[in-house]
Amino acid sequence: MDLAFYDLKQHRGRFIATVIGVGLLFTIVLAMNGLYRGNIYEGLALINATNPDLWVVERYRGGPFNEQSTIPEFYHYSVKSVPGVERASPFIYYTVERPIEGKSRHFSIIGYDIFGGLGGPQKIFAGRSIQNAHYEMVAHPKLGVHIGDRVTLGLHTYTVVGLTKEAVSSDGEALVYLSLPDAQEVLYQRDNEEVRAQRERLLRDLRGQSYLSPTQAEKLLVPLQSETHIINAVLVRLKPGANRAEVARLIDDWLYLSAFSTENEVELMLKGRLASIAKQLLLFRTLLLLISVVIVSLVVYTFTMEKIRSIAVMKLIGAPNWVIVRMVMEQSLLLTIGAFLFGAVLIMNTHSLFPRTILIVPGDTLLTFIIALAGGILASILGLWQALKTQPAMALGG
Amino acid sequence: MEILRIEGLSKTFGSGDLEVRALEDISLSVSKGELVALLGPSGSGKTTLLLCISLILEPTTGKIDFDGQTIFQKNGWGGIDIRRVRREKIGFTFQSHNLIPFLTAKQNVIFPLSLVGIKKEVAESRAMELLEYMEIANRGDYLPGLLSGGEQQRVAIARALANKAKLILADEPTASLDTARGMRVMELLKKIARENQSAVIVVTHDERMIKGFDHVYHLKDGCLERNQ
Repeated sequence: MDLAFYDLKQHRGRFIATVIGVGLLFTIVLAMNGLYRGNIYEGLALINATNPDLWVVERYRGGPFNEQSTIPEFYHYSVKSVPGVERASPFIYYTVERPIEGKSRHFSIIGYDIFGGLGGPQKIFAGRSIQNAHYEMVAHPKLGVHIGDRVTLGLHTYTVVGLTKEAVSSDGEALVYLSLPDAQEVLYQRDNEEVRAQRERLLRDLRGQSYLSPTQAEKLLVPLQSETHIINAVLVRLKPGANRAEVARLIDDWLYLSAFSTENEVELMLKGRLASIAKQLLLFRTLLLLISVVIVSLVVYTFTMEKIRSIAVMKLIGAPNWVIVRMVMEQSLLLTIGAFLFGAVLIMNTHSLFPRTILIVPGDTLLTFIIALAGGILASILGLWQALKTQPAMALGG
Repeated sequence: MEILRIEGLSKTFGSGDLEVRALEDISLSVSKGELVALLGPSGSGKTTLLLCISLILEPTTGKIDFDGQTIFQKNGWGGIDIRRVRREKIGFTFQSHNLIPFLTAKQNVIFPLSLVGIKKEVAESRAMELLEYMEIANRGDYLPGLLSGGEQQRVAIARALANKAKLILADEPTASLDTARGMRVMELLKKIARENQSAVIVVTHDERMIKGFDHVYHLKDGCLERNQ
């Protein structure tokens, strides 16, 4: 006889309300799981989508995504000349906040060599890739743009020629691909007044040097002005059969740069930018699971306490302990399983509404379910302890 | 045939200056089909004796034989599964009926049958049989909260009879009923003793209810006196 079921049938209103309440907590736990996976997916999506054989960055820097790396653009010629390198492409990546369609949008820009260079969009689902050296862009639909839209960035207007969903920035924001010179211009473009003021400051400093004539000072002004031909990384494709470690060592030793494989880049991200958010989410998930277990525990304890006289009667009639243990534990498990299913169904149907990617991985859901189930068993301990210490004598008397 | 035999049973609570002797040298014998009443004022030890007979409370000294088996002697319960004895051989009814509130009347009767592994169909048919015997079959699907006190008591008696108990212990079964309903319950207990050959021990404080009982015992300060 399923005592737990009959009891819950009697208290179905309270049971359903509790299932919904605890279920919402599980929804948040599963959302946190999805957010964690989504973070990793977003954080690594661009690295995995670009996937060159080597990422060459400023020495001792973990760039270009995990840490800022700045190298002169012409260095890619030096990298190209390293034995074993087939292609070396300049690559620039940065985050901006600019008004688009009247709304301030936060997004990341990638600049790449559009003439056969690495680092461009791999899969374009609408339109085409960038074919002209200037004023064309490929964007992620997250940006809210369509093919043919014209987007103003700084002084120039760019036409959206293609859309790609392949990757987002490591922050989960939309990506915009531009040609390398366009991307550099958007990045380094400064106000004209500020440019004039800086030129005046520099000229005054040069004129102040006693060993320079005014003409020499003016001639030095141009090369000393701030450089805009800067990139963040050089992407390398190796020749077939080339030894990646050996090429990386040569770049490290001779060019005073650092070279990482895609796996190294992934590791840098996991141990760097993504590590703290992962810890944060883990703590949140642990805390929420604990809260769920405490709530289930209290509910089961209350259910048990309400039945304490019935439990005494059962014992007096001769019910073995397992009958009582089964009743209490079944209620705890029904509550936990019901709540978990509610939470799982809810998150499955709502995860697409979240602004950041919520990636529901079956393995994570299963593991959370197992932990929740163990928590449900743990939660019944308080109720069980109370039930088992109940004396059958309690059934006697008025 | 003797079903219950108690010899020299005593029960002491506490020790030293705080020692309380709740039962003193109780001897009692009940045979199949006999109706026995235990009378006594509050604090006389009725409930303590009932707890000892129910195999819930371990006596301090004495001996209990039940259904041809020594259940208690000097060394305690002696390794006997007393809960199993209760489950299979003793039926209980209480002053407050103590039906399980989330089970229907029929399910309350089926419950003790389920404990001894009787198949669902057999248990359901036996439960209906007992409810009919108690003239309450038409209320079988009602929850206890929807039954009157008398109806609940009849369901409780049906539950006590479910496993063809050899001994039925009734603790103040009429206390919460009016006289007419109380008399009706007592008549039912007499009928059970007569027809099922179950021994019935009724603890009560109401002397009006024990008319026709085979033996009436009075408990006073833990000592038993037999009246008839």
